[in-house]
Amino acid sequence: MGLVFSRLFSSLFGNKEARILVLGLDNAGKTTILYRLQMGEVVSTIPTIGFNVETVQYNNIKFQVWDLGGQTSIRPYWRCYFPNTQAIIYVVDSSDTDRLVVAKEEFHAILEEEELKGAVVLIYANKQDLPGALDDAAVTEALELHKIKSRQWAIFKTSAIKGEGLFEGLDWLSNTLKSGGG
Amino acid sequence: MFSLFYGLYKYMFSKTEFHVLILGIDKAGKTTLLEKIKSQYSNLEGLPPDRIVPTVGLNIGRVEASNTKLVFWDLGGQPGLRSIWEKYYEEAHAVIYVVDAASPSRFEDSKSALEKVLRHEDLQGAPLLILANKQDLADAVSAEEVARYLDLKKLDERAYTFLAVSSYDGLGIKESVNWLVDVMERSKRTEMLQLRAGANLISN
Repeated sequence: MGLVFSRLFSSLFGNKEARILVLGLDNAGKTTILYRLQMGEVVSTIPTIGFNVETVQYNNIKFQVWDLGGQTSIRPYWRCYFPNTQAIIYVVDSSDTDRLVVAKEEFHAILEEEELKGAVVLIYANKQDLPGALDDAAVTEALELHKIKSRQWAIFKTSAIKGEGLFEGLDWLSNTLKSGGG
Repeated sequence: MFSLFYGLYKYMFSKTEFHVLILGIDKAGKTTLLEKIKSQYSNLEGLPPDRIVPTVGLNIGRVEASNTKLVFWDLGGQPGLRSIWEKYYEEAHAVIYVVDAASPSRFEDSKSALEKVLRHEDLQGAPLLILANKQDLADAVSAEEVARYLDLKKLDERAYTFLAVSSYDGLGIKESVNWLVDVMERSKRTEMLQLRAGANLISN
């Protein structure tokens, strides 16, 4: 009963909750992004084994953001977190051109997952502060984003270190989730 | 075996799903148009125009109109992003090309981007609806004037028309959707796409 009231309350006052997974290869910048969004600061991070989870309140949406470790050996465990996910933030190190092919393959494998069929996709072309970083159009090409035909997607150039682009991406995400996208 | 028949049955009797691409240069009003269509044809609210940010990717709208299912693909129009448009051509039943009728300084860009779209063979025979958008603005020119500026040649092999709309207040939206549904139902391209879908079904 309490749940009914809290649902009613949040639908009346426009507070929505969304479960969001932050995925990407190791060293893409997922944890830095998570804490940049949550605290507005750059924290020094170590490779994530397991996950970090934080709640970020933005544009009347409570984003429950799961940052899952990106190393090869632990990627199979991502799947445990897939149910009830409304959106995926896929983070790419835009300067790591050698591993973009791997990033693409992982990305398209994620999109194939039955439990993520309804999730919208936001791509962060991260590490724009580094020399040689590819721009959004080049990352779009490298990740073959055009193969996505049945769900909404957007790509943003970001620098987690400088704090650029992250909230523009969340703006898109909150708009898309509010207008019933997916 | 059953699944084959079921598949065939579904293929023949389910409502056709039409894919409509919304193209145009940046700031033409493509996403605002999509949101307006969504709010007029479904029970989704659609985003108010002031909340819409430039698209860098793909927005999708699914609506039903005159007993057909329409899927709109709205792609970002900034110069660096136009290269992905063509990746969506093959499956498109029709194209809406949006022009900001109140920005004559960008007509040239709009014209050359459209010419490139029309030259692409993956879009052969696709009906084309050109919208003179932003009619809510005082200095917007008419659909006829946009047609004159664009001065398109060699359009004869496809159905096309120019309409004046305002994605902002909804002027002309119903008329546009009606035109699209009507021509898509009769177009050779729809037949071709259906045959291809049917062939895929059987070969699978």
